[in-house]
Amino acid sequence: MTKEELLSKLKTIIEPYVQNQEGLQNMSEDTNFIEDLEINSANLVDVILDVEDEFGIEIDNDGMDKMLTVKASIEVIQDKLAAK
Amino acid sequence: MIGNDIVDLRLASVQSNWRRKGWLQKIFAESEQNRIWDAEDSNHMVWKLWSMKEAAYKAHQRLFSLSPKYNPYDFICTDSNVTVHNYSYQTVSKQTENYVYTIAYRDQTNFVSKVFTDKSLQYKNKLVYYIANIMDVNLSAVTLQKDRNGIPCVKIHNKITDIAISLSSHGSFSAFTVDL
Repeated sequence: MTKEELLSKLKTIIEPYVQNQEGLQNMSEDTNFIEDLEINSANLVDVILDVEDEFGIEIDNDGMDKMLTVKASIEVIQDKLAAK
Repeated sequence: MIGNDIVDLRLASVQSNWRRKGWLQKIFAESEQNRIWDAEDSNHMVWKLWSMKEAAYKAHQRLFSLSPKYNPYDFICTDSNVTVHNYSYQTVSKQTENYVYTIAYRDQTNFVSKVFTDKSLQYKNKLVYYIANIMDVNLSAVTLQKDRNGIPCVKIHNKITDIAISLSSHGSFSAFTVDL
């Protein structure tokens, strides 16, 4: 899977939880889920569960720790996909 | 050292389905899950424990100037204490029909906290007003900002102070805690 495909899948996953739509339009690798997209911190669990379902991976606690930005999430997903 | 967190229970029930498969397991230890299922009102208990973890996270992040991390499972609630690694925080929670509010603290803190239920979300202005009064300075001299880790801090006459504050808002509710 290319990075662009991964990014687009991630964007679809997070969209329902985003409270700042402007942040979503300007989404880049540096985008922070809580600060920039105003995703409720309890909804990050849903993002993680959705990512697990979509990519068929399991995100452990070490992966979860990092999943606050687009960039870190892509890295975590790529790592888990590579280990599959 | 202090941290606070407020949960609007009505908004939480719209935003989160904690009964979703795997949801509780990502955040709560087995002992905490048992506490949730044993509770008279499991929904209230979910959000009470969540607010305890969030409040303790904020106090812990401030104590060690930690960069942001998503690790709610590292914060273990036992009675009204929250332990993270070897550090323990005491908490006090207020639960009403509409919200759960928790303050986490450590050591000899002398905090003041206020919850706003008027939807106006004026909590930041009210905190500035409170600090200006206590420190006996002009309102315009007090500003709030976040440091590079996103931890809120107080500036007076453009100088960073060591006043510990914590801010939280969710739905119709907001709150500040300040340790002077």
